[in-house]
Amino acid sequence: MEIKKFTRLSMLLALSVVLNIVESFIPFFNGTIPGLKIGLANTVILFVLYFYSFKDAMTLSILRVLLVGILRTGLFSITSLFSFGGALISIVMMFLSKKFTKLSIIGVSIIGSISHAIGQIIVAILLVKNINIVYYLPWILLFAIPSGILVGFISKEMLKYFKY
Amino acid sequence: MNKSDKILLIIITIIILVICCITFSKKSDLPKKAMVYYQNDLVLSIDLTDDSVNTYEVDGLLGKVVIEKNGSKVRVIEENSPNHICSKQGYIEESYEVLICLPNKIVIKIEAEEKIDTIVK
Amino acid sequence: MKRISLLIIICFCLLLSGCSLKQEKEYKLNLYYMDTYIYVDFFCNNKEQAEAMKTSIDSIYESYHKLSDRYNEYDDIINIYSIHNNDRKDDYLVLDPKLYDLLEYSLEFQKMTNNRFNIEIGGIIDVWKKYRELGEGIPNVKELKTADKRNKLVLLGDNKIKNNHPNLDLGAISKGYATEKVGKYLEEQGITKYLINAGGNVKVGLPNNKDYYRVGIQSPNKDGSLVTIVKGKNISVVTSGSYERNYTYQGKTYSHIIDPSTLYPAEFMKSVTVITEDSAIGDLLSTTLFLMNVDDGLEFIKNYNAEAIWVTNNDELIRSEGFSSYE
Repeated sequence: MEIKKFTRLSMLLALSVVLNIVESFIPFFNGTIPGLKIGLANTVILFVLYFYSFKDAMTLSILRVLLVGILRTGLFSITSLFSFGGALISIVMMFLSKKFTKLSIIGVSIIGSISHAIGQIIVAILLVKNINIVYYLPWILLFAIPSGILVGFISKEMLKYFKY
Repeated sequence: MNKSDKILLIIITIIILVICCITFSKKSDLPKKAMVYYQNDLVLSIDLTDDSVNTYEVDGLLGKVVIEKNGSKVRVIEENSPNHICSKQGYIEESYEVLICLPNKIVIKIEAEEKIDTIVK
Repeated sequence: MKRISLLIIICFCLLLSGCSLKQEKEYKLNLYYMDTYIYVDFFCNNKEQAEAMKTSIDSIYESYHKLSDRYNEYDDIINIYSIHNNDRKDDYLVLDPKLYDLLEYSLEFQKMTNNRFNIEIGGIIDVWKKYRELGEGIPNVKELKTADKRNKLVLLGDNKIKNNHPNLDLGAISKGYATEKVGKYLEEQGITKYLINAGGNVKVGLPNNKDYYRVGIQSPNKDGSLVTIVKGKNISVVTSGSYERNYTYQGKTYSHIIDPSTLYPAEFMKSVTVITEDSAIGDLLSTTLFLMNVDDGLEFIKNYNAEAIWVTNNDELIRSEGFSSYE
């Protein structure tokens, strides 16, 4: 891997971890509804997906979850398990929608945001073994639209400034 | 945003509306009960038809979960978990609402009693 | 783009299909026959048909009401009253086939239960009714024995019965029988979703928008509470022993169901409720179970495709083997 790319990816990873932690300080997104968040860290993942490749984005996403897990909640805590489920589904869905639909980066971002939430809900259902968590879905979907647009917009702007 | 983005937005909105219709149609004026589940087992059922204030304790994965019943509403007032998500969520009272304390694997759900269709005398 | 437009089309199709389904409407009917408020509720997607059915349901109940009436005479029909009170010189009476079938059906069951279930004790019923209406005293054995002439009902075939003036009482069967006929009529008309409540007789078909009907069984104690709630579809729930027709004298409660062997009201239990598919059989069974003790009843009901719940005199609940599958 060329050094420039390697350095950039490392910095981006660091950025995504920081964004993730910063976001958890915003009180409203710290628990009002489980799974509800802006997903600022997703700007980085989305950027890598467009700028580099699916493989890189996937690696970055998994590493991010692991790092945040180590730094904040403990590696095998329920919260990390959550994020892992969300992140994995989100990155795969973003890749698929980028490749197979004509959605712009904003649309792809919305897809990512929604699937992140749905991924978390699926993990939650598996963990608690109770289907009622589905009742959160409309709130999460509703919120995924503005946050998806925001994240998509930021990534789009970022892409303009980066060059190989 | 291009055309397909807008179409995506429309689809999502429709899905949200449909889900909302389904959940809100569950709203009912029938007498309600708060059902407390640990994993999938019903561990406590609290009748919400009177105005009394009461607290209940159930065992969660990480320790005791204290539930307060205040008239027709319930909330979690004390629990041991990293983010205290469910105690921050406050009261719930409608039959489509749930309180979920994931680290403790506790789910609190409001259930309306089923209607009796007819009575044989 | 094609993919997405396809998705949208699918979404809209799903939404629209919800609206374009045939509109089934609920129709309700309140009647008063056989001394009982009758409520019929059914779902139908054709207004004219529904209105016509309402009329037919009314006339089915009306005809059984008149035929099984033992206190009033009606023009042009021979009913239970006129079987007992007529001054015809003929050896036989020609009955309406409906009444003949009902009598044949009841008599067959009476033979099966060795006269424990008995439609020929109208004379005793009359004596008890007199005291109940008076609100005072109970008849003594002598008075009851004198009244108990029990002329046998003799079926001669071809809708004919012997004109020996039997004093019949169909109170224990007519409501269940008529309700069953109405249920069958609705089903013949293609109506599957219905509920009929004729007091102690409830018959339900399929429910609308849910998995089953919930039928509450009223407590025989006058406190408005429920014995239990029965869940099910395509079932009949029949109770014997309601407090509504009871007679209380000097602190003792007398049921309206008379034991043909003692001539006194049965006192084995407070009430019994039977779940069957057929409402007429349900009515026969619940009355018969009321006339035997719970242990005999538990044995008796094993011969039928039915379940029962008893409320004993100590307010204890006893269920037949498979009853809890309905709870």
